Amino acid sequence: MMKDNIDFGLGQVMVSTTNSGGHDPEFWAEQATNKICGISEQAAPHIKEQALAFRAAVYNVILAGMRSAIASDRVTVSHKLKEIGHSDVAKFIKEL
Amino acid sequence: MAITSAICNSFKQELLVGTHNFTNGANSFKLALYTSSASLGAGTTAYTSSNETSGTNYSATGSALTNVTPVLASTTAVCDFNDLTFSNVTITARGCLIYNDTNSDKSVCAIDFGGDKTSTAGDFTIVFPTPTASGAIIRLA
Repeated sequence: MMKDNIDFGLGQVMVSTTNSGGHDPEFWAEQATNKICGISEQAAPHIKEQALAFRAAVYNVILAGMRSAIASDRVTVSHKLKEIGHSDVAKFIKEL
Repeated sequence: MAITSAICNSFKQELLVGTHNFTNGANSFKLALYTSSASLGAGTTAYTSSNETSGTNYSATGSALTNVTPVLASTTAVCDFNDLTFSNVTITARGCLIYNDTNSDKSVCAIDFGGDKTSTAGDFTIVFPTPTASGAIIRLA
């Protein structure tokens, strides 16, 4: 008789909350890095060391990219506000 | 009344008759948040508004998820979604329900957060696990 077990599995989500503002770029860089670089618990020490170094490099690239994107977006939003006559708010956003 | 993390029993049968398609761009799935008074678990068959979270900037029925097309991780089929953020919300939730918005709101799974989670004028983010054979949100081994 042929026998095979089929099992459903349900993973666990993580919930992250903030108050009076959103998540910072470090949070999003961490989540993106986790999606890109998974490191096996069973990996050999020298492989794990290389993987951790690669992971840190990926994290720094993503973080820098996110900070640049945020800065660019603020310039865009600030410019749009200035165009419609809200120079004071535009200045505030640019200086955030 | 409680929320128990479980793949819904009805979902298992519905998979075999092709009700759910997790391919990116195929069926649309949503995630709704619930208070600790909700009763959700393996026996849940569809979205319910009963004891759904309410609060500033949270809309009833929750938010749409972005499906990541299922793949095989070794011999296990795994499913994943992009992380979901409810922005600028003031809410408290104890768990959530993922359901198929395309097909009659049929439920997929219920998830207990392990405790009440609260955001006050902030982000409420659901971070899905890495889609591995042992950790993905939905696995079929």
